[in-house]
Amino acid sequence: MATEAKPEKYITSFQQLMEEGRKNGYRLDWLLPRETFGARIDSDPDAGGLLLQDIDRGPFAEIPDWSNNMSGRPRGSLTRANAARVGNYSIRTKGDIWLKNASQLYEEAVQRQWSSAVDVPWETMEELPDDIERAECQLATFLTEVEFVAGDVPGKWISQTTPDYYEPRMFLISQIMDEARHMDVFRKRAFANGGGLMSQTTNVALSGGAIDSARDFTEMSARLHISGEGLVLSIFRMGERMSYNAAEKAIYRLAASDESRHVAFGVMHLQYLSQTDPQRKEEIHSYLDEIELGLIAGTGGQNPAQRGTPSSAALAILLGGGSDPTLMAEGAQIALAVRQRQVKEYVQRVKVAGLGERFENGRANATLAAYVSA
Amino acid sequence: MVQQQHQPTGGKRDPGGDPVPELPDLSWIDKTLGWGIKARVEPFGGGMTVDALNIGVYAEVPDHIPFRNRLPRGAYPAPGAGSIGGYYLQDKHEQWADCAGRLYEEAISRRWSTATDIPWETAHGLNDDVELAICQLATELSQHASVETEVISGWLQNLSPGYHEVKLFLSTATYDSARMFEGYRKRAMVNGGGMMLESPGGMNRAILETYAGWSQTVLGMWFVRNSLDTTILRYLAAYGPTEADRALAARLIPDRMRAAAYATDHIRFAISKKPELAIGFQVWLGGVEYAQARDLRDPVLTEALAIIFGRGVAGMDDGMTVVRRLLQDFVKTYLSRCKQANLDRSKSLSGSFQVMLSGMPAPPRPQA
Ligand SMILES: [Fe+2]
Repeated sequence: MATEAKPEKYITSFQQLMEEGRKNGYRLDWLLPRETFGARIDSDPDAGGLLLQDIDRGPFAEIPDWSNNMSGRPRGSLTRANAARVGNYSIRTKGDIWLKNASQLYEEAVQRQWSSAVDVPWETMEELPDDIERAECQLATFLTEVEFVAGDVPGKWISQTTPDYYEPRMFLISQIMDEARHMDVFRKRAFANGGGLMSQTTNVALSGGAIDSARDFTEMSARLHISGEGLVLSIFRMGERMSYNAAEKAIYRLAASDESRHVAFGVMHLQYLSQTDPQRKEEIHSYLDEIELGLIAGTGGQNPAQRGTPSSAALAILLGGGSDPTLMAEGAQIALAVRQRQVKEYVQRVKVAGLGERFENGRANATLAAYVSA
Repeated sequence: MVQQQHQPTGGKRDPGGDPVPELPDLSWIDKTLGWGIKARVEPFGGGMTVDALNIGVYAEVPDHIPFRNRLPRGAYPAPGAGSIGGYYLQDKHEQWADCAGRLYEEAISRRWSTATDIPWETAHGLNDDVELAICQLATELSQHASVETEVISGWLQNLSPGYHEVKLFLSTATYDSARMFEGYRKRAMVNGGGMMLESPGGMNRAILETYAGWSQTVLGMWFVRNSLDTTILRYLAAYGPTEADRALAARLIPDRMRAAAYATDHIRFAISKKPELAIGFQVWLGGVEYAQARDLRDPVLTEALAIIFGRGVAGMDDGMTVVRRLLQDFVKTYLSRCKQANLDRSKSLSGSFQVMLSGMPAPPRPQA
């Protein structure tokens, strides 16, 4: 990392200035222009303004493969010899967290923030049949419970990542913000139409404990972004079919737009890792083995469509149009289609991440193929 | 009320070959602590707020959350739900502030973007010494904010989801700090000056090394450091050398003030529940004041401010007069937050803070 100033161009005028200042008792030894000084950056307000990716210049844009930044200094800044080693960062290897275009994803998140208070037309809600309302509230209870896995856990990893890799940190912070809104909007849905909260998810695995416990960022990201959020995204995208009013439609549409960024982060991180550190591919495949088991058998626990859970029963009611046995059976059939869609989207994401060979060489769980072709 | 449906497994199988039950189990359908609650949209355009959900049987916020999982407050607890781990701050006095829910909604309704809401085209054309001083200040403010994002995000896994209003607010606070980080990084880069000298580490350390508790973190981060940063921003909003500098600072002040509002409300609440906490908080603040004063004895930040407010190296003596006033206002701001939190520091204020409060006869000098 460049930590030297390059004063040649300015040295004469600065020396004069500094000498004058020093005569007056000031130290001013820090007043030295850096390598890029004078390189003006113009931004176009019509093209999104001044974006994080626009300011990558000179030593400030150099992302080290391995970071020795233990004081928490901003990337590219000059070091102080006496700064305390307060960083305690476990993520100091670029491949462990990096992805291309994290700045763009962050700026997109900033532009697409929304408000659960005013951007959902709550006033359009009308009383629903009791079984439908209960199903909505059960699904909302599930979602308000699991959404903040995706806030608390990235939070831990942000604090453990060197600020030399601030771009993925910034994206993950935007994700915390998004997840707060999701936790909040589904809680609001439970109370907005004369219902209330329903039952908690029955076990810790179901509420995402495996994501909390991950000891490696990529392991965590595969479980959270690729698996958990991928599954939830497929559900949100079905929102139109399980909504009973404009408010619910808005909730699913807005949440899906956030969720697709979170999933994109995970896919792009895996893609970067598989391209730059192929030695880790085998390890990543072993995480995917577990994820696929979860996808089929429900061991991962982030899937509201997982059969046998209150949220999947709620989905059957919502998709079928009621708790009458005929309607529910219809709903369960549609829910099966949702699970198929989840599997197809999962396969597509893994291919984009550069790990699609598992679907060619027989490594992928055989049942996935049955879902894809069903 | 819907009847529970328990159907025997039929002959259908899913693509994985597993038997598909004829109908889903509906034993959950009457599992609720209070049915028939309807939250209302705020009458004056505020929409559906998170505080509006605290009604009926859901209005009570308990003093203790007896489990360590993500049970939404008021949901029907599943037997055997177990512990996820983490979430060890289970007492209300360790995190609560009545205003958290309101601050959360306010943060969202006042959201803004450094990319589009700052007139960056006005940020050019300063003299080199002033531009460099701005870049030094931007480096330090950016680092302050970066440390803050690490600190808050790192605590989220420890704070019980039972007090979700706090978690919601802290999510906005992390996001606000991220915006300050990138806002000042953009400012530093807009004329190529970039990141200059990292900030002295004393206060960063005081904020990060707070194993003792979240309240201690709040005291260091939002009573002391935030009072200094907010005061600097106020001066920049008034005396910043370009329109962009004034606009950026002015935009950031409300963000900082929300954190301060949570902080004072939280500490006041903690002391109201456990008055003995005030003793430890006082001692803690004494330590943080020491760290802050030591950082300020390093002249880099104050010299940069003096150049900015003096409009150049030649005007530094005049600039330093402004800096002295700024530091005086910083200590006043800090003391008023302490007072609002029922934590009177006026009699136990550290010596160096007293000197700053008096207006300081001399600018800070490097110490031998
Ligand atoms: Fe998400």
